[in-house]
Amino acid sequence: MLNKRNRSIAQVVTYVLLTVFSLYCIFPFVWMVISALKPKTEIRTATPSFMIAEPTLANFKRVLFDVGFLNYIKNSLLVSVVACVLSMIVAILAGYALSRYFKMKLVKVSNLAMMLSQMIPGVLLLVPLYLIMQRLHVLESYMSLILAYTTFVIPLCTFMMSSFFDTVPLALEEAAEIDGCSKTQTILQIILPLSIPSLVSTGLYAFINAWNEFMFGYIFISTDQYRTLTPAIMLFKGANTIDWGGLMAGSVIAVIPVTLIFLFLQRYFLAGLMSGSVKG
Amino acid sequence: MKTSSKMTRDQRKMRTAFVMLLPALIFLALLIAFPLGKVVHDAFSHVHLINKSMSGFAGIENFETFIEDEHFAQAVRNTFLWTIFSVAGEYLMGMVTAVLLNQKFKGRAIFRTCIFIPWLVPIIVAGMTWDWMLNPEFGIVNYLLKNMGLINESINFLGDSKYALATVIFVNIWRSFPYYTISFLSAMQSIPGDLAEAASIDGAGMFRRFFSVTLPQLRSVSLVILFIHVIWTAVNFDFIWVMTEGGPNYATETLPVMIYRYSMRKFDVGAASALSTMMFTVMVILFIFYYRKRSQLSEDMA
Repeated sequence: MLNKRNRSIAQVVTYVLLTVFSLYCIFPFVWMVISALKPKTEIRTATPSFMIAEPTLANFKRVLFDVGFLNYIKNSLLVSVVACVLSMIVAILAGYALSRYFKMKLVKVSNLAMMLSQMIPGVLLLVPLYLIMQRLHVLESYMSLILAYTTFVIPLCTFMMSSFFDTVPLALEEAAEIDGCSKTQTILQIILPLSIPSLVSTGLYAFINAWNEFMFGYIFISTDQYRTLTPAIMLFKGANTIDWGGLMAGSVIAVIPVTLIFLFLQRYFLAGLMSGSVKG
Repeated sequence: MKTSSKMTRDQRKMRTAFVMLLPALIFLALLIAFPLGKVVHDAFSHVHLINKSMSGFAGIENFETFIEDEHFAQAVRNTFLWTIFSVAGEYLMGMVTAVLLNQKFKGRAIFRTCIFIPWLVPIIVAGMTWDWMLNPEFGIVNYLLKNMGLINESINFLGDSKYALATVIFVNIWRSFPYYTISFLSAMQSIPGDLAEAASIDGAGMFRRFFSVTLPQLRSVSLVILFIHVIWTAVNFDFIWVMTEGGPNYATETLPVMIYRYSMRKFDVGAASALSTMMFTVMVILFIFYYRKRSQLSEDMA
């Protein structure tokens, strides 16, 4: 009897605590959306309310069309998609080598190099990276961001792919080889179709990482034409009087794609992320 | 094709491995290894972004420059406080939420999704949203605190040097702890269920079970997570920059912000590189400790 009562108390405590934690995590987003839908008069008030007296899309309209966020969204999408595709190609190749040829010295050294690179943060390399981009004549262009984003996700993406390839039985490849498949054919026709879940999670990681990155976008790009979303939000704040309504509308826009992707694909994403980070 | 048929099987394998690793190695060599070498080289040279006439060997002058900076001691202190409190808070929150989520009950998936969402959003968005909520004039947090009678006057959380660092740490914990939750959760799910069951039959209560069964099983994942996050937090630039730019009056300036200030504001690349080199050195020392501990742990497990 006592045991049963204890268990239901434990369950109530669990629900209460988790509700508190969830509110803590979610509340800023709720407030962000509410603020983005409020007219200026309701934003700049000392008694903010959860109800919106006159909901409006004016903040979104202003940000998208007057401030140019439409262009920033396009830039962010372009950079993130290209960086994602590029890092996946590199990670599939390297991940396969790491998984299948792990006994070779070259592979062991590369593995260690990737582990070390994973630890090295971008900010410490900021100046030389800036100068390299200048030398390559890619500052003020998409290419500088694509290169930087790809480089810094390669280690984790490679680990994610290689820990998946570890689970694909070697016998499958040997059978394909006996049937006369070349290495390229084996990978393209046998291995990759099997890897779709981990391809999804690796790609998601690379995409979200590029979409969210701030520092390189802030420093490599100073022309409005190529600016991405995250630095744009920062600069928007720097104006004389802060347009909080617009700022929150911009934030909603920046958050929507990652949240949607995550909600639909979270199972793949979390599993892949864990397999890669435990290895690295 | 002719050449490949002449090669032995091992040579062919070797060539395949090399070709497959090549793209990754090119990226890492060009954009990580080379810049790394450049930073260490520049740390001992006179380099200025604008004044190109400054050049040549500098000895340890660059190191002297930043050590003599009047804000250096404070930046070191801030870096320690920022790192220790952030990581400790994240660890605690992550552990509590993981333990809660590691039970069977209805609605588990919804709670898990809610808790994970902060980790997904751009740091800039996390920073701006909290900045807006904490605003002293129009912010919801001050309004609610005043309504509840907890404070009388609005607190300028980010603009007052008494509160600024604590506030940035709080927001950092909010955004980073979900990663710990998910890592602990996936590690807990691999703990065999009969272990906890046996302990429970032996009469161990919930807390006892946690400390003597669950926690020891999480040693290796804890080590990995703590190590990675200590490094990531200590070198984090984005968070502090978007929320306070190191202000007010240097109250939240950490070493990475100082590196940014030296390189992109004062254009003194030499001093910035020297500071980076110093941070690398500390990281390498930490890595050696971590590596030893990790091999020791995996020996214990075996």
